[in-house]
Amino acid sequence: METSVSDVIIRLEGVTKAYRGAPAVRNVDFDLRRGEIHALLGENGAGKSTLTKMMAGAVEPTSGRIVHHGNEVRFASPNEALDAGIAMVFQETSLVPSMTVAQNLYLGSEKFLNRLRGIYISAQQFLQSLNFPVDPSAMVETLGAAKRQMVEIARAVHHNAEVIIFDEPTATLTPEEKHHFFALVRRLKANGVSIVFISHALEEALLISDRITVLRDGELVASGPAADFDRASIIAAMVGRTLSGELYQKRDETALRKPGRKILSVQDVSMSKIVRNNSFSIFDGQITGVFGLIGSGRTETFKIVSGIYKRDFLRGGTIELDGEPVRYLVPREAVKDGIVYITEDRKSEGFFETMGIAENLFGGLLASDREKSHIVSMKEMQALSAEWTKHLGVRAINDNARVVELSGGNQQKVVIGKGLVQQPRLVIFDEPTRGVDVGAIAEIHQLIRRLADDGLAVVVISSYLPEIMNLSDRILVCRQGRIVEEFSPAEATEEKIMYAAVH
Amino acid sequence: MRGIGWASLNQERIVLGLAVLLFAAAAVGLPGFLAPDNLIAIVRSVSVLGILAFGMAIVIIGRGIDLSMVAIMAMSVAWYLQLLNGGMSDGPAFLLVLAGVVGIGVLNGVLVAYADVPAIFVTLASGSFVFGYVRSQLITQDAVALPQGHWIELFGGVRYLDIPVEVFVFAALAVLTFLFLRFTKWGRYVYYAGDNPMAARNIGMPVRPMQVLRYVLSALIAFIAGLLTAASLHSINTRIVNSNLLYDIVLVAVIGGIGLSGGRGGVRNVLVGAALIGILLNAMTIIDIPTLYQNLIKAAILLSAIVIDGILNPRDEQTAQQGDI
Repeated sequence: METSVSDVIIRLEGVTKAYRGAPAVRNVDFDLRRGEIHALLGENGAGKSTLTKMMAGAVEPTSGRIVHHGNEVRFASPNEALDAGIAMVFQETSLVPSMTVAQNLYLGSEKFLNRLRGIYISAQQFLQSLNFPVDPSAMVETLGAAKRQMVEIARAVHHNAEVIIFDEPTATLTPEEKHHFFALVRRLKANGVSIVFISHALEEALLISDRITVLRDGELVASGPAADFDRASIIAAMVGRTLSGELYQKRDETALRKPGRKILSVQDVSMSKIVRNNSFSIFDGQITGVFGLIGSGRTETFKIVSGIYKRDFLRGGTIELDGEPVRYLVPREAVKDGIVYITEDRKSEGFFETMGIAENLFGGLLASDREKSHIVSMKEMQALSAEWTKHLGVRAINDNARVVELSGGNQQKVVIGKGLVQQPRLVIFDEPTRGVDVGAIAEIHQLIRRLADDGLAVVVISSYLPEIMNLSDRILVCRQGRIVEEFSPAEATEEKIMYAAVH
Repeated sequence: MRGIGWASLNQERIVLGLAVLLFAAAAVGLPGFLAPDNLIAIVRSVSVLGILAFGMAIVIIGRGIDLSMVAIMAMSVAWYLQLLNGGMSDGPAFLLVLAGVVGIGVLNGVLVAYADVPAIFVTLASGSFVFGYVRSQLITQDAVALPQGHWIELFGGVRYLDIPVEVFVFAALAVLTFLFLRFTKWGRYVYYAGDNPMAARNIGMPVRPMQVLRYVLSALIAFIAGLLTAASLHSINTRIVNSNLLYDIVLVAVIGGIGLSGGRGGVRNVLVGAALIGILLNAMTIIDIPTLYQNLIKAAILLSAIVIDGILNPRDEQTAQQGDI
């Protein structure tokens, strides 16, 4: 495909970025044309974020050139890049939580006399023009992830950015929010804005992008028009192997596990307005998939089951474990009864960041009653860690590598392991593969299946339908604080589940 | 150990290096610095400070801070001595004061853990309360003297190989704190809860009872430090509550590399911090630098240690999350 030089907004030529000598991006050429949507794909650690951060001035290349409108440039800071019309919407939002939406929109471009009323009115008009249902006078800290992201996007658009880089924009969005998001991206494109779109969700990339570039281990492995790619070829390029077929395939009746003994029975459980009269049961020896949109109360329901949240004291309903009514005040009591919840937010409530893999895994053991002794043995810790890193397939330099330095998939395996060393009877996985690379997703799914095969009761909460369809032996759909429908994966279709979740 | 060369230069090592440098410089430049008496004096001078810093370290590693330590240290002992001087027999008086000390520790811990009040306010207020209440209601003068021939006085006079008893108590508490933090289940919990309280709670650690335990421990350690002070001075002066001793305790703990954000550090860091401060104070006293300037120098050293640590071990997204490049 021939393009004139003027069509190219920004071009990276042979850029390399090394951290402490280890290259994260190696000699990559990348260009972005006016008004195109360019998807950047790859496993975690493939170098996508680093590559785009170089464009956005957050990271300086170790070598190579950045050419912007035909001139070589070096952005010393994200602000310089923003002035040049390149905005990046980060994975973790960079909004000020204690300020209102409007204040965040105008952050850095305030006039000397900053009339709040004035900026609320113009922010309202601006947000409406983007079709974002966000109240400009709301504090950012009170907003959910999806709305925060809308504000973040609005801020980039508001700066008249010519290039907008989205880093995993859809990870925290519900399906209908995704539709809004894609409509917005297309509108931006129509206005001549060029968009770089980093994602783990391949369907989205195929759906929306004009061109696709795939990175692996910091190197460019494939690039071309989106029409030349399909799901299988992208995955093959990303991981260097073909595994799409085994990862998400439909299951038939005979392959489903039969329910064992009823372990958990939840009746009419309520917690303020978030969980309302929720009733369901969980059985041994099978995987119960729980699907629901964000805000449907699915996470909160299972946090109540595992003692992290408390249900309403009056009319809070009953929870029975093995037929015995239980009411946990702290997670410790649930852990003692063999209920383990594995969080969806591993960074803020999953792992211990100053510690290594071994200490993280050992923490699970120390917290449980399995560790009888009050004296801690480092030998025991190393043995436990050696056993579990092998079992979980954690790949790291050694067991003392700090968990923050691992890739998302390895971090998730450690967080899972920390729960599994407690030898639970009921394991609740909340979004087990969020922010996890394709290779590790397959391994984590395998691990979850093995637990059910071993007779444990397993719950998988997910907002990714293929994951629910593929893993579950039965599917519960959560809407407005309660389980509204149950499906067998053999009869369910994505459309049926989605219909139950939204109506 | 992670990294090599510059990357392995953390705050603890920088401060240790500074202490060694300072020691060498003082040994060469200051007459009488290397005399055995002076070396013992250095250790003795930081004994009480170091003991208090162990208590502070336990609390800080668990993501808290205890600003009531100095008040507890001085006022508990003042009250104890006042009871003795008032004619109460030793056993009941000691138990009464001990109960008071544990009570304040429990109060601090409960308010921080269960009422979710920030530790800095709880302990600031409880420290003022302890000082005000004991000074106004329980004792009559700023300083309370030790009764003649009391066991504390005898204890304070104990020497072994010319080394005063404070040094042995300091060493014993160092070992005990080390064993607690390193080898007991509850000691390890301190690190997990300090690193990520939410994660620690979710995997089933008793986060709140643990928090109470930490404040009880720091109160008890403050009481021990107070008894030692009374043993060497034969009295306790409650005006110490309004001195900058509290600042020195935090200095010793933090300068050695115990992170105020929790989860990092240990007894070794306190020892390193105490070594530097001890040598520094001793050298400055020999040179006869006024107290005002001593404070200035201490503050400057603390600031530079923190800044250098920040530069050499940045904790931003770029270097911390190499997995997510």
